[in-house]
Amino acid sequence: MKEMNIVIEICGSAGEGTISAGEILSRFMSSQGFEIMSFDAYPAEIRGFGKCVAHTRISSSPIYSPGKQADVLIALNDGHSISQLPALKGDGILIYDSQPAKAHEEDKSVLGWAPAEVTSYGVPLTMLAQKAAGNARGRNMVALGAVAALFDLNQEDFCESIKGRYAKKKQIVIDSNVNSFKEGFAWTRENFEINSRFVFEQGRAQDGDSEKWIINGNQLVAKAALDADLKFFAGYPITPATKIMEILSKELASHGGTLLQTEDEISAIGAVVGAGFGGIRAMTATSGPGFALMTEFQGLSVMAEIPAVIVNSQRGGPSTGIPTKTEQSDFNAAVKGGTGDCPRVVLAPTDTRSCYDATVLGLYIAEKYQTLVVILLDFFLSNSIRNILPPEKPGEDVLNANVTPGEDAMKDYKRYLMTEDGISPRPIPGTPGGMHFSTGLEHDEYGRPDYSEKGHTEMTEKRHRKHLSVLNEAPAPIVRGLEDGGADIGVISWGSSAGAAEEAVMFARNEGVSAAVFSSVMLSPFPDDALKAFCDQCKTLLVPELNHGGQFADYVAAAVHRPVERLNFITGRPMASEDILQKIREM
Amino acid sequence: MASTDHYVIIGNGPAGNAAAETLREKDPDCRITIISDENIPFYYKPKLTNFISGQIAEADLLVYNPDFYTDQNIRLRLGQRVEEIEARTNTLYLSHMEAVNYTKLLIATGSKARVLPSMESYAHCLSFITEYEEVVAYRKQIRKAESFFIFGGDLVGFRFLKMLRKMGKQVTLMICPHAFWPFNITEEMQDTIAARLSDTGARIITQDDISHVVEDNGRYTVTTQEGQGVTVDMVFSFNGLVPRVDFARGCGLDIDRGILVNEYMQTCLDDIYACGSCAQIYNPKLNTYTTSIGWPNAQTQGRVAAENILGENREVQAVGRKYFDLEGVKIKTTWWEDYDAQDDNINLG
Repeated sequence: MKEMNIVIEICGSAGEGTISAGEILSRFMSSQGFEIMSFDAYPAEIRGFGKCVAHTRISSSPIYSPGKQADVLIALNDGHSISQLPALKGDGILIYDSQPAKAHEEDKSVLGWAPAEVTSYGVPLTMLAQKAAGNARGRNMVALGAVAALFDLNQEDFCESIKGRYAKKKQIVIDSNVNSFKEGFAWTRENFEINSRFVFEQGRAQDGDSEKWIINGNQLVAKAALDADLKFFAGYPITPATKIMEILSKELASHGGTLLQTEDEISAIGAVVGAGFGGIRAMTATSGPGFALMTEFQGLSVMAEIPAVIVNSQRGGPSTGIPTKTEQSDFNAAVKGGTGDCPRVVLAPTDTRSCYDATVLGLYIAEKYQTLVVILLDFFLSNSIRNILPPEKPGEDVLNANVTPGEDAMKDYKRYLMTEDGISPRPIPGTPGGMHFSTGLEHDEYGRPDYSEKGHTEMTEKRHRKHLSVLNEAPAPIVRGLEDGGADIGVISWGSSAGAAEEAVMFARNEGVSAAVFSSVMLSPFPDDALKAFCDQCKTLLVPELNHGGQFADYVAAAVHRPVERLNFITGRPMASEDILQKIREM
Repeated sequence: MASTDHYVIIGNGPAGNAAAETLREKDPDCRITIISDENIPFYYKPKLTNFISGQIAEADLLVYNPDFYTDQNIRLRLGQRVEEIEARTNTLYLSHMEAVNYTKLLIATGSKARVLPSMESYAHCLSFITEYEEVVAYRKQIRKAESFFIFGGDLVGFRFLKMLRKMGKQVTLMICPHAFWPFNITEEMQDTIAARLSDTGARIITQDDISHVVEDNGRYTVTTQEGQGVTVDMVFSFNGLVPRVDFARGCGLDIDRGILVNEYMQTCLDDIYACGSCAQIYNPKLNTYTTSIGWPNAQTQGRVAAENILGENREVQAVGRKYFDLEGVKIKTTWWEDYDAQDDNINLG
C-alpha cells in the first residue's frame, strides 16, 4: 500500500456546515481504513459566531500530531478563508466558490490573495447547492463532492458517511445533503482532471474499521467516567470542558448517577468532595479560571483524604484568557498549586485515546488513595477527534478500589491510621463503628484536630508517603529511540505535546539524527527514576511545551540537575512536530 | 495627506511594470495593483527558448522577484483574469467574481500568438511559445520529441529553430510570407532567410503553404498545397502576435486590432489608459493608429502612461532599435517616424 498523508482544512463561518463537513470527512476516511486526527478551531466568542476551521489530518500510518500546515484548503467563506491562507502549504490546493451569489467586494475573495504557487479549483458551490436542494445550505456537501472527485474517492461510500451523519434527521435533510454532494462530484469530474498528487488507495479498510469510534477527548472522558462507575458530577460550564458535563447530563442518570449544575466552580468542587466523602465516585470538569476557584477545596480533599477528581482542560491564560485556544500553562497550578504541602495526583493524557485511560485511572486512584486527582487535558485534546477501536472497559478490581477496614480495625477505628504506604482504610459513612472526624484542620489518627509539632510532621509525611506510593499505579512512560544504547538529543514532553515530540523524533531519526523521546502520563508523582535513567543516556535535553517559560522544563531541570533546552509556543495552536523537528535540527 | 488613489494595471510585462515603477516613484502613497492571468512574476519572454533548452533556470527568467513588489508596496495579483470592465463605476470584475475598484486603469496586456485564419481549423494541432505556462507544459514534450514542423517564422520562431537544431532535433521550416504581420515578407526576402537558415541543417520550405494537418496517435502529418507531406512529433506556429484585448471588448472602449489611444495613451473612456503592444496609438503626423513592438517601446509607453495618469501631459515618442534583423532581412520598427512611401516598411539588409 502506498503511504498517504494529507491535511485538509475546511474554513467557513458558523452556520455554514463547516464542522459538519469536517465530521463527515473524518467519518468517511475512517471507514476507508485511514487514520484520522481532526481538530475544530473557532473564535474566542465560542461557537455560533464568526470563523470556523475543521482541520483533518488523514494518513495511512499512525498519526501523532495534527500537522502544522494544510495541503488542501476548502473555502466555504472567502472572507474568513483569507486569514487561513498562511496555514496552507505554499504548493497547496485551494477549492473555492467560483460563482457566489454576488461578486465579492475588493480584497474579500480568497482567490485574490492565494499565492501564485497554490493550485486553485473554482467550483460553483452556491450554484450547485441551489440546483441540488433549492437553497445554498448544501455548499459544504458540494465542496466534499468536489474533494471526492478531485482525489478519486468512492462516491457511494462517501454518500453512506453523509447518510450516517444525518441519520437522525428527516429524510429531506439527508436527500438534500446527498444530492448536493453528488452535484459537486459530477461537476468537478466533468470540469477537472483527477489530481494525482494524493492517492487514496481503495481497499484499505479492515473488519474493525467499521466499529471504530470517531470521538474526541471530552467525549472519551465522559464515556470513561460512566464506564468507571461515576455516580456524581457537579460542575459549572466553561470552555473547553463544558462538553463533558453536557454528555453526562444526558447519560449519568441512566447509569444511576446524579449531575448537579452549580452556581460556580467553588460549589462544584465542594459538592464533589462531599460526594467523595459519602463514598461514591465523584468528579468535576473545568478550565483554568474554574480550577483556580477550586483551590481551597483541593486542599481539603488532600488534607481530609477524601477522593475527588477534577478534569482541567487547559486554555490560554491566566484569568479568563483565551477560551478557545490551547495551552499547557496549568502545569504548575495542577502539580504545585494550592497552599501548604499539598501533594496531589496529576495525570495528563498524551492523546485522545489516553483520555479514556487517564479518566478511568484517575477515578480509581482517587478512590483507592483517598486523594485529589487532577486530569490535565487541554483545548486541543478536548476537541481533537480520532478514530479508535472501542477501549476495553475497566474490570471489577478497578471499579471497587476502596481500601475497606477489617472488622478488627472497627473496634478502635482510626480514620487516619499510620500505614507503610500511607493509605488508611476507609469505611463508607454509616458503617457501624466507623464514625470519625473529617476536617481541614491538621489532625491525629482519629481525625481529631492536632496542632502539635510531632503530629503535623507525621501526618504530612504520611500524606507524602501515600502520594509517592501512587507511582505503583503509573502507566509506563513512553520511551523511544534508545534501542542503540543512547542518543544525542533526548526530547521530554507531556500532555498533548507528547505526540508531536514522538513524531518529530521519528522524523529526526529517519534523517539520521540520534534522538530519543520520553513522556509520562503521570505528572505527579513523577516517575523520576525513569526520567533520570532516560536523561543519563542522552547528551542534550529538549523540553517542548505550550507555555511561556517552560513550566515542565523547570521541573525536569530540577529533577535531573541538568540544563535543558526549551521550546515554547503560546500561539494557541497545538504543538507541531515540524517545529520540534526544526529545533532538533538546529541543536 | 496621503493619496487614496488606486491605480490598477492589467498586465505584468515591460509596459505594466514600467508604469507601476513610475507611479510609485512619483506617488509614494498611492495604491498600485498589477493583475495578470499568468502565474509567474514579471519575466523575460525573449528568454523562453533558452528556458526550454535548459540553458537557464526558471529563476533566471524573472526580471524581479516577488520581494520587489512587497518592497514597492505594489499588490501583485497573479493567476487572476479580468472578466469585465465596468467603466461607469470604475470597477473591474475578475473571473473569480471579485470586484476591484480603480481610480485610473492602465491596460497593458501585451499580445498573444496569432493564428492565421487558414489555420484556425487545425489550431488544436499547433503549439505556441508566447507564454511561460505554455512553455512549462511543452518543455518535457519538446525534449522528448525528435521531429518538428515550424510554420511561419518570426524572431522567436527562428530562435526556436536554432535551439532545436542545437539539441539535435529534425526541423522543417515553412516560411510564411505573413509571419511578420502586419508586414509582408517578399519572395526575395524569403529566399534570403532560407539561405541563411539552411546552414543550420533544417529543411526549409518556401513558396508553399499548408493545406491541412492531421493528428494520428500523438503525431502530426502536415500536407502542403504543393503536395508535400511531413510527419512530425510537434507542430509550432510562429506567425506574429495580436493584441490581447478580447476581455475589453464590449465595455465601451474603441478597439480596432488593439485598444485605440491618443498620443497621451488615453483611451476614449475617462480614467482608462492603454499602452504597449495591446494598444494602437494615434500618430497625428500620420493621422492613423499604429501598433508597436519591442521591449523598449513598451517600457517607454508604460512610463508615459503613468505620468499622464498622474496628471502630466506627455506625448509618447518611439525608442529603441529602428530595425529588427530577421536573418539578414531588416524590418523597420520605428513606428512613430514619418511614413516614407519609398521605405515600404521592410528593407533588405
